[in-house]
Amino acid sequence: MGEKKIGLGSVIATGVGLVVASSCLLSLGIGAGGIGTPFIITMAIACVVNILTLLSVAELNALMPNLTGGLAQFSLAGVGPFITIICMVGGYLLCNSLAGSVEGAVFGNTFSSMFGGSIPPWVFTAVLIGFLLITNLNGVDVFIKVQDFVAYALIASLVIMGVLGTLGIGTGEVVNQPAVLASDFKSVTGICGLAFFLFVGGEYVIPLTKNCRNAKRDIPLGMILSMLIILAMQIFMVLGFKNYTQWDELSASTTPQILYGKMLLGPIGRYWMLVVTLLAAISSVNTIMSSLSYILMGMSKIELLPAFFQKTNKKGAPYIGIVIVATFFLVVNITGLSSTDSISFMIAVLAILWLISYMVSNLDVLLLRRRLPNAPRNFKVPFGNLLPILGILGSGYMIYSIDPSVEVKLLIYKVVGITIVALSIYSFFWVKIKVKRPLFQPYAIKEVMAMESDLYSKFHKKVG
Amino acid sequence: MRVAIEELSKVEIITREAKVSELTENASRFGITGMTIYNALGCGVQLGTQEYENEKSDSLRLLSKQVVMVVLPTREVDSFLDFVEKSLYTGHIGDGKIFVTPVTNAIRVRTGEEGMDALKEGTLD
Repeated sequence: MGEKKIGLGSVIATGVGLVVASSCLLSLGIGAGGIGTPFIITMAIACVVNILTLLSVAELNALMPNLTGGLAQFSLAGVGPFITIICMVGGYLLCNSLAGSVEGAVFGNTFSSMFGGSIPPWVFTAVLIGFLLITNLNGVDVFIKVQDFVAYALIASLVIMGVLGTLGIGTGEVVNQPAVLASDFKSVTGICGLAFFLFVGGEYVIPLTKNCRNAKRDIPLGMILSMLIILAMQIFMVLGFKNYTQWDELSASTTPQILYGKMLLGPIGRYWMLVVTLLAAISSVNTIMSSLSYILMGMSKIELLPAFFQKTNKKGAPYIGIVIVATFFLVVNITGLSSTDSISFMIAVLAILWLISYMVSNLDVLLLRRRLPNAPRNFKVPFGNLLPILGILGSGYMIYSIDPSVEVKLLIYKVVGITIVALSIYSFFWVKIKVKRPLFQPYAIKEVMAMESDLYSKFHKKVG
Repeated sequence: MRVAIEELSKVEIITREAKVSELTENASRFGITGMTIYNALGCGVQLGTQEYENEKSDSLRLLSKQVVMVVLPTREVDSFLDFVEKSLYTGHIGDGKIFVTPVTNAIRVRTGEEGMDALKEGTLD
């Protein structure tokens, strides 16, 4: 009882801290460098679509409170195991893995830009991943005490630098360049997918429900305000970029925030952003490596992944998941994530997979409203089915307009398509052979809730 | 038979002990002037089977529950039920059952007041 102590302020702080990562700044640099200040409109569209999905997630959380598996469990109750495995287990896990890889690349690129010389950036990334692999296998979270501080330091740095740049009061030279590079509809909306990446992860706030003083009000409100605060922060950064950084240099940079820091405040700004970026990237890679291995474990408990993910070593760490995740980060980085183009391509693929899981979350709301119209919901998305439908359409539109170049877009769709086909094959056989349930039959909410208990898998293993 | 002028309803809520305090803290918002809570043993359609168990129990397993009984004006019942449902809801089996029945009259023995007067602070004292 005494645990309930988190207020709206803490929810917002956590929400902003979880969403803003150093890789977001790369999207910001690429987007703003591409079309100039109209990227603010692109960001606003992406922000609204994210808010629509977060409202749906808040309603699902009200219907199935305190679940650790999050979106996967919601979708199990909404659309059944086949789609859940494709979108949530596959897509969502893959998204997080790619996000961790991109954070690793940001670390490598940042470190290399300062001290690298001729050493390729991925070498630094590999050293970091190796170090975090060892600490995680030993059950030691080296960053647990500082990760909040690091996240807030990054946010505070961005706010200060954004405002200084917007007001034109930096010590660097103000650049004379057009604010608008492209303002036609196609250019502005054509990179929504990139802007979407600036706001993903708002749903990570959901686990705070347990510790919230007034969860009914603070969780949905906190998620929305986090998004709006992030939007405001990014708007200041874009305006600051316009005043201090050449657009073409910005879009070509793998570390736009460091470039901006240098142009705004000289060497002090450069070192400031360098330190903050390095710490934030290390913290993010560590967090994702650790949380993903536990998510894999959770998915395995509810029979959506093989049982070996539940194995732990002497230190209690789910070692198979940790090793797989670390290997994935490593392979993605070694095979080339050091150029802006490859990272932006990866971000686009990632955004589509994430958007698909967001579309399914909106769909879950509509389906569960039909199935359980009278179940008590402490939070219900207002205006009937309109907002979840808009969330689906908005996410669909962002997938459609993931890149302005048709050629690149088709290539992105191809990668996503191959991924989905591979996941579908796995999902089909897994559901048929292991889960032994109809592909599209949703689980009852009571069963999804029961799965949360450790005893569920024990009891079901004994018999099955 | 003496019948109260104002329509009254009795709401009986069977739920987990842990949830009762949430109800008692906020009950005064709905014109509730008194409340009776008693311990009970019982089971529902699952016959006491725990939600994580694979098969339904063959024999009855009686679980420890609490029953909250309140009488309130019928016009307040809908909003009270909405509040109770949202307070008790966890999505898990065993959240509870609510029974609503009409009350034809209530009498305060000491003063003879009837209906809502018997439930409110006495005016005859």
